[in-house]
Amino acid sequence: MRLITHNMLQCHVKGCTKDNFPLKLEEIEIEELEAEFNADFIKSMLNRLDWKALAQTTFSLGIAQLPEEMPEELSDEMLEQLHHILLEIDITSGRMVCQGCNHVYPIRNGIPNMLLTESEV
Amino acid sequence: MIPYLVYFVQFHEDFRIQELEALAKLENVKIKFNREDYSNENPFFIVELESDEDAKRLIRRSILIKHIIQLWTSGNDYPEVYKNLKSFDPEKYKPYETSTFKFMVETYNGTRTMKEQVDIINTFSFLPFTGSIDLKKPDNTFMVLEKYPAPTEPPCKIYMGKLVGSGDRQLVAKYDLKKRKYLGTTSMDAELSLIMSNMALVRQNSLVLDPFVGTGSFLITCSHYGAFTLGSDIDGRQIRGKGKTSIATNIEQYNMKKKVLGTIVSDMAHHPWRNNGELFDAIVTDPPYGVRAGAKKIGLNTDKYDAPPPTKRDAMNPRYPLTVPYEMEQVLIDLIEFASKYLVVGGRLVYWLPTNSEEYNKNDIPQHPSLKLIANSEQSFGKWSRRLITMEKVKKYEDIRLTGEGNTGHYQFRQFYFYGKDGEQKQENNKKEQPKDELESEKVKKSKHE
Repeated sequence: MRLITHNMLQCHVKGCTKDNFPLKLEEIEIEELEAEFNADFIKSMLNRLDWKALAQTTFSLGIAQLPEEMPEELSDEMLEQLHHILLEIDITSGRMVCQGCNHVYPIRNGIPNMLLTESEV
Repeated sequence: MIPYLVYFVQFHEDFRIQELEALAKLENVKIKFNREDYSNENPFFIVELESDEDAKRLIRRSILIKHIIQLWTSGNDYPEVYKNLKSFDPEKYKPYETSTFKFMVETYNGTRTMKEQVDIINTFSFLPFTGSIDLKKPDNTFMVLEKYPAPTEPPCKIYMGKLVGSGDRQLVAKYDLKKRKYLGTTSMDAELSLIMSNMALVRQNSLVLDPFVGTGSFLITCSHYGAFTLGSDIDGRQIRGKGKTSIATNIEQYNMKKKVLGTIVSDMAHHPWRNNGELFDAIVTDPPYGVRAGAKKIGLNTDKYDAPPPTKRDAMNPRYPLTVPYEMEQVLIDLIEFASKYLVVGGRLVYWLPTNSEEYNKNDIPQHPSLKLIANSEQSFGKWSRRLITMEKVKKYEDIRLTGEGNTGHYQFRQFYFYGKDGEQKQENNKKEQPKDELESEKVKKSKHE
């Protein structure tokens, strides 16, 4: 799971509406990938990202220290850094924990399992 | 504008003009045509475009167009064609006079032997072309296209012009399921997957989701066109695959790790996508309606089933929640609602909808105030059809709960398919009625096991 995907996933346990995003990554293993750098793609994703969540996640993983708010103008270096963060960091295993209800979503073989149990939907 | 002749392939006829329209939008080409002139029975279609460059661009991604020809003239017989060509201002031929060239003869609904073709070509020797003939790499290729009313009769229409561009049908062989390492019973054939990518206007840097990803056919074809793709499926076994093959194997086979972002295990009925944003440029999918792969969602009503009491599970333990049949009606409502919310404005939803041919009525296509129906193409299997539905998001999401009332053509489709209209259970499915891609993938699977 790349961090761009992580930035789009929230806890969806029934009734969990507070602090259900972003999911906290724990005990994770990371593999670095190489993805095609494409400034246009990164730019087109900017208004679809939740910047605050991205800054929080990258900080807690010790990957990068992004400004708290999305800068109005993004330098080429910043775009490249975002490209690396969003597309080249692949979480191969670990878990995502909801900060609202403590629900745990496991990640195995790079695939997060977002299924709920029958009592949670 | 200049007239061009579009020469379609004779497959998936009900998808051809829809693909052409999608490509014109995708490539931003100005095009004029009279839709009433189009017929599924005729592979020739005249359009007007601004330039050869536009014509070439228009069909460079086409799966259902063979060639596009700058149309010089047409006639009901050869003398008419010769007469028209002779009446042109000699200036028209100037640019071609000294360049190398070749002639090609194509026929529809009739045949010509090699010798007949050469004889036809020789009758055009009155044209003032003095350049040498080059069959391999000519500067210009001229085409004569004949349409026959019946194979035994003489041609009723003849077109003549300069070949400008060709479609991209070689991709059908490149992504052929027979060559694919990981397949399931519902893997979509390459041709239709590619057409769907065109219908969805998938292009460089699109972000595309297949929420019923199965074995990942659409991830491959959408990423072929430069999209970043994501898939989800409730069935993690499909994603992870069997033994040594999985979606990841296919991604590696086609060297698309840089473009396929990954897959998640999730349920469309209770999905985890962040609910405050328009995320995707396109949603391309073949929902499991229960004909070939029964749709499932996580069960709600626990007392109906022998469910284990909910316990706090260890996070790393496998999770196999109860699943219940997911009614087709509900699959559709969830999908349409999801698309109206998560597509960007201008983004497209392209999906398959099976319909019972007898009861189908165009009002069966679910509607949503945010989504405009762009195309509805039928692939018929006799008593039932599946329809490729293309919708475009035209305005921001409005929270309108869809009702399934009155949607009878697909309502209880599964019941009809398996049980017949009178409720009698079919002993086995008629092979002829099964979609080609399924049969093909079955064959492939068999040959792999042998």
